[in-house]
Amino acid sequence: MSRRYEVVYIFDSALEEAQVNEHLERFHELLKDADHPDPITDISHWGKRTLAYPINNKEQGYYVVAQFECGPAVLGEFERAIKLDEEVLRYLVVINEGLATVPAPMVERGERDDDERKPRHEEKKPRDDEKKPGDEGEKPRDEGEKPRDEGEKMGESVVGEEVAE
Amino acid sequence: MMRRSKTCPICESGIRIVDYKDERVLSRFTTERGKILPSRLSGMCARHQRQLTRAIKRARHLALLPFIKGHSR
Repeated sequence: MSRRYEVVYIFDSALEEAQVNEHLERFHELLKDADHPDPITDISHWGKRTLAYPINNKEQGYYVVAQFECGPAVLGEFERAIKLDEEVLRYLVVINEGLATVPAPMVERGERDDDERKPRHEEKKPRDDEKKPGDEGEKPRDEGEKPRDEGEKMGESVVGEEVAE
Repeated sequence: MMRRSKTCPICESGIRIVDYKDERVLSRFTTERGKILPSRLSGMCARHQRQLTRAIKRARHLALLPFIKGHSR
């Protein structure tokens, strides 16, 4: 039985695209078997992106996402080959759930990030409003991190009970 | 007290499966330090909270999301 998988590679950003393709071909050759002469169904290069944290002291990586279909027998050898390749900073193989969304490149992402943040602030606001009538003194602290708010609130309620007693 | 929004934000937006590659959506459900927001704060339904947790962890592995936001050596 074969399954659809998805693999994400992060290559060293020092590699040229041609070199990356060379590596990809080598990996994808391993997926071929009698049932799947052409295992790769989709491949998309995201290109160079800044990593959220440095990996092997590198700030950038070259992302490639590929969808493929193969039997279970070839996967082990495939993953072993990726692991041994030092040009691959990270990889992830998961079962494909039928998604092919590709995030926008870095430049656009900055702008869109702001758009995403706005609704979150709007979500927060009503909560802050609710707090205000209860505890006026807490107002400045409300701006802090959410979980911390929670902690303080729990503390308050305990104090409140003691006063009541 | 903190009132949770009545409906799950992911259900509302019509997304069936949370995608680990879409870090813009995922980062909405993290705190400013990059922790996963608990469902009691985000109003997420249990099914989507599970999907989200897994997606965020995958995204962190792929350096799409930081493990700790604002952390520098």
